[in-house]
Amino acid sequence: MTDASKGLGVGASLRRKEDARFLAGQGRYVGDIVRPGLLEVAFLRSPVAHARLAGVTKPPGSESSVFTIEDLPEVRTIRANSALPGFRVSEQPVLARGKVRHVGEAIAACVAASRAAAEDLAAACGLDYEALPAIADMTTAHLPGAPLLHEDWPVNAFLEIRRTDDVSGLDAIAAAKVTRTLRTARQCMAPLEGRGVLAEWDPRLEQLIVTTSTQMPHVIRSGLADCLGLDEGQVRIVSPDVGGGFGYKGILLPEEIVCAALAMRLGRPVRWLEDRFEQLSASANCREHHYVITAWADRAGKLLGVACEAIVDAGAYSSYPFGACLEAAQVGSILPGPYVLPLLSCHTVAACTSKPPILPYRGVARTGVCYAMETTLDALARKLGITAQAIRLANLVPPQAMPYRNLVGKVFDSGDYPEALRRAVAAIDVDRIRARQAAGEAVGFGLATFCEQGAHGTSVYHAWGIPFVPGFEQAHVRLSPDGVLEVRVGVHSHGQGMETSLAQVAHQILGIHPDKVRVVLGDTALTPYSTGTWGSRAAVMAGGAVAEACRQLADRIAVIGAALLQVSRADVTVEEGRVRRRGAEGSVGIADVARTWYRAPQNLPPGVDRGGLEITAGYRPDPDTGTHSYACHAVVARVDLETGAVVLEDYVVVEDGGTLINPLIVDGQVLGGLAQGIGTALYEEMPYDGDGQPLAATLADYLLPGTTEVPDVRLEHMATPSPWTSFGQKGIGESGAIGPPAAIVNAINDALAGLGAEVTDLPASPSRVLAAIEAARRRRP
Amino acid sequence: MKRIAIALTVNGKAVEVVAEPREHLADLLRGTLMLTGTHIGCEHGVCGACTVEIDGVPQRSCIVHAGSCDGASVRTIEGFADDAVVAALRESFSREHALQCGYCTPGMLVVARDIVLRLPDADEARVREELAGNLCRCTGYRGIVRAVLGVLADRRAGSSRAEPR
Amino acid sequence: MVAGGARPGAGTQSLGPLLNLRLAQPETIADLRHLPDYAGVTRAGDVVRIGAGTTHAAIEDGAVPGRVGEIMATVARRIAYRPVRNRGTIGGSLAHADPAADWIGVLPVLGGSAVAIGPRGERRIPLAGFVTGIFETALAPDELLRAIEVPVLPAEARWGHWKFCRKVGEFSKATACVLAAPGTPPRAVLAALDRPPLVIEDAGALLADPADEAARIVAGLGEMAPWRSALAQAALRHAATAAGAP
Repeated sequence: MTDASKGLGVGASLRRKEDARFLAGQGRYVGDIVRPGLLEVAFLRSPVAHARLAGVTKPPGSESSVFTIEDLPEVRTIRANSALPGFRVSEQPVLARGKVRHVGEAIAACVAASRAAAEDLAAACGLDYEALPAIADMTTAHLPGAPLLHEDWPVNAFLEIRRTDDVSGLDAIAAAKVTRTLRTARQCMAPLEGRGVLAEWDPRLEQLIVTTSTQMPHVIRSGLADCLGLDEGQVRIVSPDVGGGFGYKGILLPEEIVCAALAMRLGRPVRWLEDRFEQLSASANCREHHYVITAWADRAGKLLGVACEAIVDAGAYSSYPFGACLEAAQVGSILPGPYVLPLLSCHTVAACTSKPPILPYRGVARTGVCYAMETTLDALARKLGITAQAIRLANLVPPQAMPYRNLVGKVFDSGDYPEALRRAVAAIDVDRIRARQAAGEAVGFGLATFCEQGAHGTSVYHAWGIPFVPGFEQAHVRLSPDGVLEVRVGVHSHGQGMETSLAQVAHQILGIHPDKVRVVLGDTALTPYSTGTWGSRAAVMAGGAVAEACRQLADRIAVIGAALLQVSRADVTVEEGRVRRRGAEGSVGIADVARTWYRAPQNLPPGVDRGGLEITAGYRPDPDTGTHSYACHAVVARVDLETGAVVLEDYVVVEDGGTLINPLIVDGQVLGGLAQGIGTALYEEMPYDGDGQPLAATLADYLLPGTTEVPDVRLEHMATPSPWTSFGQKGIGESGAIGPPAAIVNAINDALAGLGAEVTDLPASPSRVLAAIEAARRRRP
Repeated sequence: MKRIAIALTVNGKAVEVVAEPREHLADLLRGTLMLTGTHIGCEHGVCGACTVEIDGVPQRSCIVHAGSCDGASVRTIEGFADDAVVAALRESFSREHALQCGYCTPGMLVVARDIVLRLPDADEARVREELAGNLCRCTGYRGIVRAVLGVLADRRAGSSRAEPR
Repeated sequence: MVAGGARPGAGTQSLGPLLNLRLAQPETIADLRHLPDYAGVTRAGDVVRIGAGTTHAAIEDGAVPGRVGEIMATVARRIAYRPVRNRGTIGGSLAHADPAADWIGVLPVLGGSAVAIGPRGERRIPLAGFVTGIFETALAPDELLRAIEVPVLPAEARWGHWKFCRKVGEFSKATACVLAAPGTPPRAVLAALDRPPLVIEDAGALLADPADEAARIVAGLGEMAPWRSALAQAALRHAATAAGAP
């Protein structure tokens, strides 16, 4: 009984409570919801990257159905500022004003009874503009003389950041030095469900109700209220089932604000559903980095220093709330990776280009930075004639140094990084790969080691000064009269299974069966404030908050239970769903406590705590600098020298996410992130031409990995608890997406080492692999 | 705009609807018939989220004209309540954690059922090939592939018990 | 209707996406699937007649008999995905003439003809000359593709088909098909190169020396991105080798 009960709490691979509705097709997404009198919106969008906008000609007779920024004077621009010194904040009008700054920027909202009719209206609008030169290349965008996207700025850059250690002496003492120029592609995050907004004005409540596919309902409420000049109580955000987020839905959308303004103006529900073409060609992107990186090492492979010139293509605007610089500001701080690095010199530019803004995508800057650092390490190892594992073992932070503060001030909480590497290497028969290579096969072995800072809080974010800084995460728990526990949290679930894992946390504290725990998410009217689900924070922050609230509730339950048992509070404990006497027979069920409090108060003792059986509690780990999960990815890849195609023969992940609340769900997070990382490594690319035109308009051009592109990954866990969190859990939601580009390209380059060829740019598509082989061939006489 | 009358069978019930000539089947199912379990992911036939059964075989409802379904029999995810194969798939999908956000799941189940019935001897490679037209952005597919293989294995074990030779 | 400008549609698995993206905006679409005998396969003597409305899935499952059916089943299985094959038709694919599509890169090697029907009755167009450009065919504006007729093949016919897709079901980036049947010169076709398929009526040289001849053929196509050129050569070499080249 006790074992079976513990089998439902923290650490149990419980099947998900939410599965039944999804398997029945009963998930409820924004696009599934209709209202009487619903109007649909289609946006007239910019066909060009950069232009002065002279005017929009509305189709005759539709003047009251087509809205430009002139028609919405009450709406403020989106401003996502940052406290980082030198940051230039963009003014992003919700519909273009005076200029357009990327293809797909919304210019006018066209309203009709159906989406198709609204699209007809958009197609019938006339657009008068004077084209300006596109700023399509991040490597030249910020140079003097480039045409300016925001004309009151001196250069096309949101921010430049420098850290300058003196590396000038390293050439003299290093045994090896390598320099690499590397590039990651602009990507679309491509959740299967696009964004969607349904806005309506409730005249009784005098409240704007916006149902929207978002990861952060409370932050959207603040931003929306601000842009519309409403107080926050006049705005309710509902985020129903969300068909995948990955960062794509961590943004205040211009479209959200426009739909809300139109719903208030027209007195009718207004809906916009993003289609795939909009998602690919008009909406925010991610990941586009450029590096020139140099690393020095001694004979044993020990790193002496790293110098890096990095550019992040941040697009045209600073998105709310994360701003344009979350990636650029982190390049320098992530570069040391899991290693002991003595010197770092890093200069990063957040370039402003005539492309859609970028958003932090699963892994955020880490995926690109890990790619840069790990491929450079392998280049160093090749130069030194040592193995990929040897150079990493020479530099990984050792377990006895934990907690470890690195040179940029990041504090790693716990773990055995070298052990993860050793296990991953041991899982692969490297000798056999070497034998196959000796026999002439283009097969290679690649490694990536990295750590993932997650759930970083106030102390980290206040330095960036973005429009919100996360503080204490709150959870509200409420015992119903029938003994069912409602758990209300302001984070949201978009596939992470929080209805299950947070129920497990509640069960762990109170012993109430997870089936009797209802987790309520995604509605600002029903949940306490939270900055939402992003940054691998929910398991740590919401998990901790639910635990804390349940502990406080347990105390209230214990007081009443003790009274009913006619013993003192000190003589009872709450476990397995009951209030039990310590060391004696006698107990009362939590359901009986609830029934007594709500429905038979005559049985309560005089002077009972009047607080009742609802608690809102706040939680923040101390320190709140973030947990560090870490992993080693090991890959065997085969390259077809004729076509440039890459086949992943084997993929091993050794991962340490601390205590796992639900291992089944954690595996799903790692494997899902991994598939996205494989997309980054080999397939996904949103190319832009010199005129700033996006060149992938459909999923036939923008390739997402399918069942045949993702191998049957072997996943192994270590479980070193974090000393700072409620159960030792660590944030792990992004990890899978960080390592694959580095590990896969390292495997490709190992396979091509005999030819002297190296892939430097992502994705490692057949054309790039063949080009690398051809370039190596040309270098050799 | 001219509208066209369509008579078809949806989940076993005869329905008569009118649609715009340009309307695709997915919009008809989700809008007029309020069967929102059929999801729209790309509207160009690549992602598979909208896959339904038309006249007994899986098809993409986003690139099938509603008007071309006059006389057709359509089955959506809402129409498999009594289907033993889908019941087994639902069980194994949950066991193998083959779904996260749930958006691809209905289309995935329709295709998985076809694999189980049409290719009873399919191995992992074949299952992966047959599932390649249904994108999932959350799971990394391992759970989905294992769930389908699990049902195939159970049915093989069941049929060898039922028909001893 | 078609003579009046209606766009003929069969399974609409290629046309549908273009309509949804508003890249094609026909006034009217004529649904051909209701034509009598539009789908189905019959054999008369040495010729197999495949109704234009026959689905890829039917061909995958063996609707076409004999050796030619084996070849076509193998090709069909690699067209897009099963739910697309369940509705998409051989005739629709051929008449749409997307340069990256599958049948236009295979049917020319089989010989035979496309059967067109129009106000002037039926006529036969050799498959080798059916596709005349990118999304262009030899069909007159008032004609429909009614059927495809291919000769039966002897069991000893050898063939090779190779296409390169970055992922399963994706549009090909280079396709080659080679058929070597006794009594006639071997034929080859090279397709999916952003241009109409190249039909090689006598591919004897390719079978004799696949590497050199593939390089010569691809060089003759003019400027091409290096990787597409490499893929095209690989396609010809692999298809020729499978068809019996040394």
